[in-house]
Amino acid sequence: MKHRGKGIGCMWYPIGFTVLANPSAATVKINEDGTATLLTGTVETGQGSLTVLGQIAAEALGVSTDDVHVVSGDTDTTPMDTGAIASRTTYVSGNAIKLAAENARQILFEVAAPMLDVRPDQLEAVDRKIQVKYFPQRCLPIADVALQAQFVMGRPPIGSASYNPPTVGMDPETGQGKPFSTYVYATQCAEIEVDDETGEVEVIYMSAAHDCGTAINPMLVEGQIEGGISMGIGYALQEEMLFDDDGKQINPNLTNYIMPTSLDMPKIDVDIVENFDPTGPFGAKGVGEPTAVPTAAAICNAIHDAVGVRITSLPATAEKVLKAIKELRDGGEQKALPAAE
Amino acid sequence: MTDITLTVNGEEKTASVPPETTLLKMLREDLNYTGAKLGCDVGDCGACTVLVDGIAVNACLMLAGQAEGKNIETIEGLSTLEEYHPIQKAFEDVASLQCGFCGPGMIMSTKALIDQGEELTRDDIKDALSGNLCRCTGYTKIIEGVIDAYEEITGKKVPETNPRAA
Ligand code: FES
Ligand code: FES
Repeated sequence: MKHRGKGIGCMWYPIGFTVLANPSAATVKINEDGTATLLTGTVETGQGSLTVLGQIAAEALGVSTDDVHVVSGDTDTTPMDTGAIASRTTYVSGNAIKLAAENARQILFEVAAPMLDVRPDQLEAVDRKIQVKYFPQRCLPIADVALQAQFVMGRPPIGSASYNPPTVGMDPETGQGKPFSTYVYATQCAEIEVDDETGEVEVIYMSAAHDCGTAINPMLVEGQIEGGISMGIGYALQEEMLFDDDGKQINPNLTNYIMPTSLDMPKIDVDIVENFDPTGPFGAKGVGEPTAVPTAAAICNAIHDAVGVRITSLPATAEKVLKAIKELRDGGEQKALPAAE
Repeated sequence: MTDITLTVNGEEKTASVPPETTLLKMLREDLNYTGAKLGCDVGDCGACTVLVDGIAVNACLMLAGQAEGKNIETIEGLSTLEEYHPIQKAFEDVASLQCGFCGPGMIMSTKALIDQGEELTRDDIKDALSGNLCRCTGYTKIIEGVIDAYEEITGKKVPETNPRAA
């Protein structure tokens, strides 16, 4: 017989480690046609980070994302980056890019100020224009200002900056410090079905509520969360590296290392819980790794809800679940475990 | 060496390869169609999917010799310089892919499925893609992309289902 169960998993996750140097740097060049070139050391691995970083530069410069040409991941030409790791790219590289873009923009402000008869701090960059705050009709196209800066004033509008999350060392007495710049939070709920004759678990539905600061690109955030959930489902139910006595992996292939296919994926509802983090670029934090964290916990709680057994080693394969169900029926150890409620 | 003549994306091609050569190896190394990817080389991942006479096949499991005289379609045959194939367009619009390694295989499996001309449900789509592994996306936006492409190409609708209804 099949039993339905629901479970919840929650997590927090640190973004921007501060225990070690964790810098990113960027250079932003505003071209004479009003487009911009962004140099960043970070590497795109499909998560869409270059899109997000281009959006951050565009927002800071008041141009369209399409206007920003992103050059990345080439150590010959771009600044070194700590890496596309630790869910840090949007936060750390994003902060560096925002600062670099602001430095380049400052040159435009200083060049445009006398042209518009105001002080540089009275200007803003919006809609491909440098305009006087509150007086948007007094404006100049960014392309014109960039041209003026380059060819008349001799001040090419280029900005470079780096960002390293502020470091707070650990107090050797108390062990306290500030190991990370900021944190994200998430809850995922799983609805599953357990077959008590085979022990097989099917995930029917997952809902995922994730805080990532400002969602700079919500579609990409969804993609990260859905991908993370598939990894979480694999972690919960299928994926296991097996080693022999010599420490050699005995399933180094996709025939025996089982990962989720399209058939294993449930319906997923994603809820992006936005909030503004004052330390992040335009309030953003990060989303990558956290997406895979609460899934297995939610699924194991749902298994308990469905058939009353606690699976404490992953993956919760059919064999393990069936064994636990049998033990429970035979009045074995499982029964002695306190119920979660 | 075996001489093989086949049609790839409408063009006749010939190659002379050792008899144990797979279709995938010949496509990639002798004919320079590198769109189909070499993932596992043993039929587990689907990254190498191409169409052979309209049927989705793991090119790593088929010998080049078996493709003699056949009509092969690869990802390179879909888009032109001017425009994407509707499947590629739908995949781009909903951000179906992330790293993209599974992409050529996913898209060719999708093409084989839609080309069959049958009415599709969400389950049919999941079934048809089950031989194409994706490590990045959780398949969710890929399935969305397939649905959009199917609806665009055929004008039919994929029925809504509620898997939570017991
Ligand atoms: S390379 Fe052919 S299935 Fe993996
Ligand atoms: S997009 Fe990376 S494997 Fe599918």
